[in-house]
Amino acid sequence: MNILNIAIKEIKAALREKGTFVFMLAFPVILMLILGTALTNVFSSNTPVGNIELLYKNEAASPQLTQYWQGFAKAIEQEGVKITPLAAGTDGKLEISEDRYSAYAELSNEGITYYGSSKQTIESNILQGMLTTFADRYNMAAAALKSDPSKAEAIIRNASAPGEYIRETALNPDKQPGSIDYYAMAMTTMIALYSALSGTFLFRGERIRNTALRLMAAPVSKGEIFAGKVIGCTLINLLCVLAVVLISKFAFQADWGNHFGMVFLILVTEVILAVSLGLGLSYILKGDTSRSVVMIFLQIASFVGGAYFPIMGTDSFLGFVTNLSPLRWANKALAQIIYNDNVAGALPAIGLNVGIAAAFLLIAIISMRRQEAL
Amino acid sequence: MNILEIRNLTKKFGDFVAVDNMSLSVREGEIFGFLGANGAGKSTTISMIATLLRSTKGDINLLGKSITSHGKFAKTNIGIVPQDIAIYENMTAYENVRFFAGLYGLRGALLQERTEEALEFVGLGDKHKSYPKNFSGGMKRRLNIACAIAHRPKLIIMDEPTVGIDPHSRNYILNSVKKLNEMGCTIIYTSHYMEEVEEICTRIAIVDHGKIIAEGTKEQLKAIITDTKDIWIGIKANESLSIEHLKQIPGVIAVRLEENTVKINSKGEINNLNKIVQQLIKDQIEIRSVEEQAPNLETVFLTLTGRNLRD
Ligand SMILES: Nc1ncnc2c1ncn2[C@@H]1O[C@H](COP(=O)(O)OP(=O)(O)OP(=O)(O)O)[C@@H](O)[C@H]1O
Ligand SMILES: [Mg+2]
Repeated sequence: MNILNIAIKEIKAALREKGTFVFMLAFPVILMLILGTALTNVFSSNTPVGNIELLYKNEAASPQLTQYWQGFAKAIEQEGVKITPLAAGTDGKLEISEDRYSAYAELSNEGITYYGSSKQTIESNILQGMLTTFADRYNMAAAALKSDPSKAEAIIRNASAPGEYIRETALNPDKQPGSIDYYAMAMTTMIALYSALSGTFLFRGERIRNTALRLMAAPVSKGEIFAGKVIGCTLINLLCVLAVVLISKFAFQADWGNHFGMVFLILVTEVILAVSLGLGLSYILKGDTSRSVVMIFLQIASFVGGAYFPIMGTDSFLGFVTNLSPLRWANKALAQIIYNDNVAGALPAIGLNVGIAAAFLLIAIISMRRQEAL
Repeated sequence: MNILEIRNLTKKFGDFVAVDNMSLSVREGEIFGFLGANGAGKSTTISMIATLLRSTKGDINLLGKSITSHGKFAKTNIGIVPQDIAIYENMTAYENVRFFAGLYGLRGALLQERTEEALEFVGLGDKHKSYPKNFSGGMKRRLNIACAIAHRPKLIIMDEPTVGIDPHSRNYILNSVKKLNEMGCTIIYTSHYMEEVEEICTRIAIVDHGKIIAEGTKEQLKAIITDTKDIWIGIKANESLSIEHLKQIPGVIAVRLEENTVKINSKGEINNLNKIVQQLIKDQIEIRSVEEQAPNLETVFLTLTGRNLRD
């Protein structure tokens, strides 16, 4: 009952702090808008693919290659690629540089020379992927022909099945986040981590206001005070985080996938982690130091954790550092849930959140029991 | 019956002894004054009574029960008004009192009733919905008191509840202390203001360097210093005054000059006023006035501790 009273007081008092709300709600939402709009091009999968037009010239003497090519051409035409042979007297490279086709390919006995349009990058990339597959297959067939002609036949016959090239070029195998989707997720996890700030202030605030004296003078145990405050603080921060999720979902149509329960669990554990971290540090580092340390940590963790731009490679030193950011593992887990429907992929992050939170809570509890005041 | 008994109480902060082997009892129904200069150890003693600090040595009993083994009982029966205002600025006056009273187990209609009663009591009955950040210093002090009394404790400890406030709020607070006392509360009252303590306290302890150096009613305390008296003599000019001459008069203990007043502290039983006046006339000093000071707590304090109550 006392725990509940204290938790409610904590939430009520926090609801009155307009500054906190501006920070916890407006800040992530505005950043989401700015970054999500400004960096749209970084997330190319969101760019619509235009008509794909391939211009080609076949100078191959080998009937095998020609036959194989025709099979390939037929297959990709069915996928919507428009194929045009180079008209006599025109310059294929010129056609490309003037952006009339997506790509230009020259077949000869030496192989395929490929020219992609620099303007239609996506279309040209798709064609390049298809042609690479084609060349690989042809090489394989050619090699097989020497040892086992019947196998080569099969490879070539297969080559004309529609869909074959599309799948292999891996056009868009998984669902991928658009920029708003990405920043909705990244800003949400970032602001969840910022709960650490209220963690550092949780008991320091009571000490500064002298209300710690009143709490200690009342017939309430330290444990009840602790539990009430931690629960209240977690709930109020979680409320902000969920509000950010809802705003991003309904105002910006951000994609949060289909596993809300799991997304929720990640966010809950992250807020608990953040609050415990701030709280633990406020006992390890006395005074204002904890706040500064947490602030620096939050900035770095946000930066390397992918709050401002997506982090790709993880093999370098930077890669190692990024993995230390709770945002990194939260974002990874959320991406697994939202885009790959991989719910189990979130479990390591949840485990990590809970484990680290427990460690910091323990530090706070032990320090608190040792000292006389709160 | 004693509501509070303190025996051989000591508190050390490292090597520093803040409270030094203090023994003291407070009777039920008293307004007990705790007088002491800055750093005398008043707040430290109070914190130990209110279970906020652990003693280094000694026992404290509340209503016959040790506060160490009956912590919850002690906490429930004590209301503390901290020296530094302890309220939530972002919660209304009503919410503040209600929250703290709620920690003492009050619920529902009773909680609401007691909260309203406490606010009414300190004169904030019309400020339920106001935020303390818009309050004057005096109003904050009064809210600070309301938060400590809503659960109707038997013993209320007030640590300098009137610091830095306007006369109106101060009077209000002094009157509410008397009223609380009439309603049956025992009160421990700490202050720097001698007049306040003299006005409301039924018994007073003078604390210095963590020790109680005198204890009793104000009459008893004043009696301590009846063996000396203060004679103040107003003079026109002090050029020819010789303090040495005055000090040689039998019975005179100390002489000091403040502006144009010669302040003489002398043994009580010796009648030496004639000799003093004669000496001044001999030194060609023009006397304007002569008065013998009635002993007050200020002089008691000064005599006992050698320092002023306020720096
Ligand atoms: N937590 C502490 N650690 C170290 N020293 C302390 C601590 N608390 C109080 N003291 C010291 O103990 C002495 C008594 O302090 P206390 O606050 O009890 O004095 P006080 O009589 O209430 O003075 P004031 O009138 O200024 O409030 C002071 O010298 C103070 O510096
Ligand atoms: Mg004090």
